[in-house]
Amino acid sequence: MESPLHHFEVHTIVPIHIGGLDLSINNAVVAMWVGLAVICGMFILPARKGLSLVPGKLQSVLEIAVEFIRNLVYEFIGEEEGRKYVPFIASLFLFILACNLIGLVPGSYTITSQLVVTGVFATGIFILTLVIGFSKHGMGFLGILVPPGIPKVLIPVMIPIEIISMLARPISLAVRLFANMTAGHTVLAVLFGLAMTGPLWLGWLPFGFTVVINGLEIAIAFIQAYIFTTLTCVYIGDVIKLH
Amino acid sequence: MSENSGFRQGMQVAFRLGTELTVATIIGGLLGYALDSFFGTKPWGMVIGILLGSAAGCLAVYRVAMTLTIEEDDTNNDLE
Repeated sequence: MESPLHHFEVHTIVPIHIGGLDLSINNAVVAMWVGLAVICGMFILPARKGLSLVPGKLQSVLEIAVEFIRNLVYEFIGEEEGRKYVPFIASLFLFILACNLIGLVPGSYTITSQLVVTGVFATGIFILTLVIGFSKHGMGFLGILVPPGIPKVLIPVMIPIEIISMLARPISLAVRLFANMTAGHTVLAVLFGLAMTGPLWLGWLPFGFTVVINGLEIAIAFIQAYIFTTLTCVYIGDVIKLH
Repeated sequence: MSENSGFRQGMQVAFRLGTELTVATIIGGLLGYALDSFFGTKPWGMVIGILLGSAAGCLAVYRVAMTLTIEEDDTNNDLE
């Protein structure tokens, strides 16, 4: 009987070691490449073939997706400022969505169930917000630590609270995506283990649940990608508007 | 895409608030613990850190809830 956490393990496929660094190609890297290839293939190939004014099936799906992300960015960052962040947010959303969905294919690997991957995304976004804030407002950006309209007495208390809530943002961003993906896949694995070990007259019940929960996981994959990008927009918007 | 936006927003808020409350408390506690082991002021840093962290979590939840209620008031006024 395999452990339900077995499918989160990383196996090296092509070992590459350069000067003490382990740059081996493992199944997580391959899953990431597949996600990248799917997204690039879906967007670059139709664009190469030539876009038509009356969109075909694939083109209209892609147009709806891009328009949806653009509206999201405009809603939370603003139309003027948000324009230059649309490509970044769109690639973030599509890549996370592709990786979440690829993880649901049996036998593949969910890279968003690794805290390292989501942590790197979240840390990058956190550093990006700091860079945007300091380049836009200079040292006045530190004013984000003092909310407007509070009494002067409370300022020494509010500054540590605000620092904690700033630091909590990237961590909650990373933990949310990682925890949801890991939990969903563990539930699927446990139920499937029950279905495999039980006798046939009982095993159909957990097996039916795996089918249902797989459908739920598809919804979770979309919602988590959506939440991740929405919160990225919210954080960038907060830093630009500064209260 | 727009017809189920209420559902999407609800899910977003639900997933967001839960983690934000817990993570802020944990961050506060960890920061306090780190300061403790740095300055050698054992339990006090962690105690104050947890208090401040939970305050930060509540504040984050309060802010999200305030923006939500303002939006809801706006939509209610539109209906009248």
